[in-house]
Amino acid sequence: MTRQLAPWLAGALLLAAVPALVESPFAIHVCILVLMWTALGAAWNLLGGFAGQVSFGHASLFGVGAYTTIILYLRAGVAPWWGMPAGGLAAALVSLPVGLLCFRLRGPYFSLATLAVSELVKLVALNWESVTNGPVGYLITALPPLRLFGHAVDWESKTPFYVVAAALALAALAATALLRRARLGAYLVAIREDEEAAEAVGIDTVRAKVLTLALSAFVAGTAGGFYAFYFRYVDPDAVLGLSLSMEMVFIAVVGGLGTVGGPLVGAVFLTTVGEAVRERFPSGHLVFYGLFMMLVIRFLPEGIWGRARRLATGLQERALRHGAA
Amino acid sequence: MEIFAQSVTSGVLTGVLYAMIGIGLTVVFGVMRIINLAHGEMVMLGMFGAFWGQALWHLDPFVSLLLWAPLMFVAGTLLYRLLLRKILPGGELNTLLYTAGLSLLVANLALFLWSGDYRTISLSYGASPLRVLGVSVSVPLALAFGLALALTAGLWLFLARTDLGRAIRATSQNGEAALLMGIDVEKVAVITFGMGTALAGAAGVLLAPSLYLYPTVGELLIVKCFVVVVLGGLGSVPGAIAGGVLLGVVESLGAVYVSSAYKDGIGFVLFLLVLLYRPAGLFGVGK
Repeated sequence: MTRQLAPWLAGALLLAAVPALVESPFAIHVCILVLMWTALGAAWNLLGGFAGQVSFGHASLFGVGAYTTIILYLRAGVAPWWGMPAGGLAAALVSLPVGLLCFRLRGPYFSLATLAVSELVKLVALNWESVTNGPVGYLITALPPLRLFGHAVDWESKTPFYVVAAALALAALAATALLRRARLGAYLVAIREDEEAAEAVGIDTVRAKVLTLALSAFVAGTAGGFYAFYFRYVDPDAVLGLSLSMEMVFIAVVGGLGTVGGPLVGAVFLTTVGEAVRERFPSGHLVFYGLFMMLVIRFLPEGIWGRARRLATGLQERALRHGAA
Repeated sequence: MEIFAQSVTSGVLTGVLYAMIGIGLTVVFGVMRIINLAHGEMVMLGMFGAFWGQALWHLDPFVSLLLWAPLMFVAGTLLYRLLLRKILPGGELNTLLYTAGLSLLVANLALFLWSGDYRTISLSYGASPLRVLGVSVSVPLALAFGLALALTAGLWLFLARTDLGRAIRATSQNGEAALLMGIDVEKVAVITFGMGTALAGAAGVLLAPSLYLYPTVGELLIVKCFVVVVLGGLGSVPGAIAGGVLLGVVESLGAVYVSSAYKDGIGFVLFLLVLLYRPAGLFGVGK
């Protein structure tokens, strides 16, 4: 038990130490992005990595969360920290009919259907002006005051956002670890390896997939809420673009599909290098993402974390064999 | 009635161009089981080819087709030989993700090189529309329609009548059996991919004078293209033609009678319905 908890405790301590060690606001900003993308990659990985259902439409779930949070705050005065979980719930609710519809399709057909649903959601956001404000979107000019432990939270500093993002990423990774050990996790792997066989042994595959999608949507929607909270700005291109869906896919694939640590590794790698390239020229990070995706599929299809784990187990086994001999 | 005739006409005209893009995607899928997510970027490259041809060398876009279509063919064969062939054994999902990466790379490289500005191509003969039987038609779109029709018919004859065309169809029906019959499946694959890329590029050149050009236009086109091939049945050439025309007409009627804002959405709804209820395509010929 302690052996399993040790890496989590170490990770949490490391995360807690970052704001004290790092001073530059830009570095903190990059850390926040890495953590947000870790949560998003983990959300996608629940469905894509464990159940093998490649969704090209996760931006729609992220967008529903972002819109819910910002609309609740601007129209009803609900503070964004309450709006975030509400965004997650809204995304999970939206995901139910989408899942029931799209999961009737298999393999690449499922992927194409999610792409179409996502484009539809974007179209609705662009045109349903009375709710979404159309292409203009929403802007938060001032965040509500909050007092915690007798101190007013300073929304101009990045530290409070860092704490929220770290909690979000840890929760998403913990959810992945728990899912992997749960019965549902075993169902999903069975579905990924052979859906007919999974059905034949009595797994309700549609139920398992819809449940996982809802969980994945909750995480993605909450992260969307965080996006609205941190960037204070939401419009259809910013939160519903196809490239957002693709970034989630890439982070999970580059890190390692169906692993717990994969999304973290993928997000650290892609986001930091991506931001460094974006500094030089805008949209450069997407060029880099595309190129890197091609290299990983070609030379490292199991992902960075997947390969590292395999190498580690290989070494352990060799050590055991030598010990026995 | 006049509005109806007008919108059906413009729907058919754009529909044939959609069909041309769809055919490229569908033959590649038929032969190699590759769903090429970068297909829209090939169309985008064709559009920019037409634009730069006119801007730099004063080449008429329709004349520049003679340059860009063969170039895109060569680019497609190289792309397949050097990059895609090594990915194929990894399975359908790997190629899907790989071409997704390629699509992002090409679109954003274009964005970097050419900026995100919306561009148009203006033609001296594009200003005043042609009037035929009370229906007005833009000259560039009519020209594009004619050339697309000719290219599609040529492709049809090639697939139906020549040995290579038969080999492509045979490989599409059953790759292993084709191999056993002595067909050089690898050669067929290279040529098919080159052909698919050339068709996409050519459609881009033809569409360029009638649409706005910007580097990420492929995103919109690829989704439409999927609608077209799924309507007709993935892997079927006649299906893609019917699907393209159907989508063109439905979109333009929808824009007039339902809502122009949701014009693109009508196609997606149709797409989902067909995927769910007729996954082999409306005509049941796909696989």
